[in-house]
Amino acid sequence: MAKQIFSTGQVLTAAQMTSLQQTAMLGGAANAKTASYVLVAADAGDAITMSSASATTITVNTGLFAAGDIVTIINLGVGVSTITAGTATVSTSGSLALAQNQGGVLRFTSASAAIFFQFTAGGGGMTLLNSGGTSLSGSATTVSFTSTGYVNLQIQVLGVKTAADANGYTVRINGDTAANYSTMRSNIYDTGPTFDPNNSIGATSISIRSPLGTSSDYYKLGQMVMDIYSPNDSSQHFFNWSCVGSNTTLTNPWYMFNALGIYDASAAISSLTFTTVSSTFTAGTVYVYGVK
Amino acid sequence: MTKVMIRIHNAETNKIIDREMTADELAQWELDKAQETQRQAEAEAKATKKAALLNRLGITEDEAKLLLA
Repeated sequence: MAKQIFSTGQVLTAAQMTSLQQTAMLGGAANAKTASYVLVAADAGDAITMSSASATTITVNTGLFAAGDIVTIINLGVGVSTITAGTATVSTSGSLALAQNQGGVLRFTSASAAIFFQFTAGGGGMTLLNSGGTSLSGSATTVSFTSTGYVNLQIQVLGVKTAADANGYTVRINGDTAANYSTMRSNIYDTGPTFDPNNSIGATSISIRSPLGTSSDYYKLGQMVMDIYSPNDSSQHFFNWSCVGSNTTLTNPWYMFNALGIYDASAAISSLTFTTVSSTFTAGTVYVYGVK
Repeated sequence: MTKVMIRIHNAETNKIIDREMTADELAQWELDKAQETQRQAEAEAKATKKAALLNRLGITEDEAKLLLA
């Protein structure tokens, strides 16, 4: 129930009392929206739910709310819903970009400023940023996302297959083709095994050298996990990754890689591009998780 | 000529677009391909040199590893 202005002598009904009690407990009925929405004064004390498959915004303007007013915001849809400062100021220590089933409370400290307190699942929680994953296709696949509010990103690439034998694939951050990627890679391969360390300073991409191809063995082994730290830091971004692959059988020859690197650019990380230059992707899924 | 395709997945809107690479994307892809071909040629040349050297020395790769261990 939205905030009420009571008058002297007014008689409250039982239904009103029940509704007010629910609201006081951060419950109650919600004002359901299906498209971008601009908050109005009558939303004070209310809950706004957003249900949209596409990205939406909830805009906050000045002069509508009083200090102490709260608005609960919950995103029920697949599309990211972003709380956007219109003419008012909105600050948060969490994220203003709400993925599906995320929410929080917008509390006004004045008529022109609010703080968004995000409900969280606790530290260390992982949120899948690309709902359902991204299927690799063509010679390159780009997945874009917002990393705002996350301390790390974890990228899992599973079940990669290519139309023909290929020496792995590359990853680029933010579509950057400049010489900003430096890596140190430790490889062991074959039954020897052979230890084959490799350094790459100022490369134009991150080279994931897991052998790929068409057989079921590739499918079983064509996988990689990468952690990118501080994706919103205004300096270099540190990352590491591990992968495993085989180009004939499950046991011989086989490859295992463990590597770390630096992406020498300051922009927040908002996209990753996976490219195979000697074939095309026929299978594989990329999952991008935001880590709190 | 085979079209070189790229997939774009905007996770914020959950929209997926499959399209041909633009001229710039294709040029970068061709450059990457040339670099990969060169890298493979260099790796093969290195392996050939290594085999020839082992042959001249009359030792196996495992024996060479023992020497360097």
